[in-house]
Amino acid sequence: MTNPAETRPVVYVLVWLALMVLLALTVGSAFMPLGRAHTPVNLAISVTQAALVMLFSMHLSTAHPLMRVIAIVGFFGIAIMITMSLFDVLTR
Amino acid sequence: MANHAAAFAPQFDDAEQQRTAANLGIWLFLATEILFFGVLFAAYAITRVRFPDAFAAASRLTNLPLAGVNTAVLITSSLSMALAVHAARHGARRALIAWLSLTVALGIAFLCIKAVEYRLDYLEHLVPRLDFRFEGPQADQVELFFYMYFFITGVHALHVLIGVGCIATIAVMASRDSFSPAYYTPVDVTGLYWHLVDVIWLFVFPILYLVSRS
Repeated sequence: MTNPAETRPVVYVLVWLALMVLLALTVGSAFMPLGRAHTPVNLAISVTQAALVMLFSMHLSTAHPLMRVIAIVGFFGIAIMITMSLFDVLTR
Repeated sequence: MANHAAAFAPQFDDAEQQRTAANLGIWLFLATEILFFGVLFAAYAITRVRFPDAFAAASRLTNLPLAGVNTAVLITSSLSMALAVHAARHGARRALIAWLSLTVALGIAFLCIKAVEYRLDYLEHLVPRLDFRFEGPQADQVELFFYMYFFITGVHALHVLIGVGCIATIAVMASRDSFSPAYYTPVDVTGLYWHLVDVIWLFVFPILYLVSRS
């Protein structure tokens, strides 16, 4: 079913609005004294933004499950690659 | 043309199956793109963990105002692309062409701002090999950050350029009435590609520009 239930244009506008607010938050947080929490905060915001785009603008929320599996496999691949590489660097 | 466009290729049972196959194909491609940029992010993560202070110092030299505006431009282009796909689904040809044109314009704006940024980087002697200059500790590691900065943003800009070319092509096809509510797969898959280029930038932006600003 790649012709999923209709996504209404207002949803795209809301996603855009959320992305803009999150952009302001991520830039704003960079100037706050968060110490070591900067990068986790930035990345959490990026993941939220990416999830909004992929679920709604890219219709993954209503797409065929196969598409979701492929998208998840892509990100899972990166996660494995980065964590495994860091295991090496961090335990030297 | 509309009748021809409504048909589906002989190897498929129906238009629905054809659409699913096309979507499956583009998602597989997008997964390889995610992995391609993933390698760059992994390289970045390893070097940043090894040289945290140099990366913090280097990141402060990047141009945050221009990159922030560029992020907003790309997010907005994603919205206009989503509305273009919506127009295609409903056979609204003029709206489709208008939204595609806006997306192309925003994509070109992104590239122009990026070019200005690169020029400013050059003037500040931040281009590795060319005339890199950094007065401070760990200059080599700071240069390493800028190798990554130019490689990651350069490859991303190349993706934006390719996207602009694809969307412009789709706009020309739309003006020749090539799409209908029964067949608009090229608009759909180009939209998915464009959104992914946006998603990748949403990660590139904080890891390069926001490492240490406070």
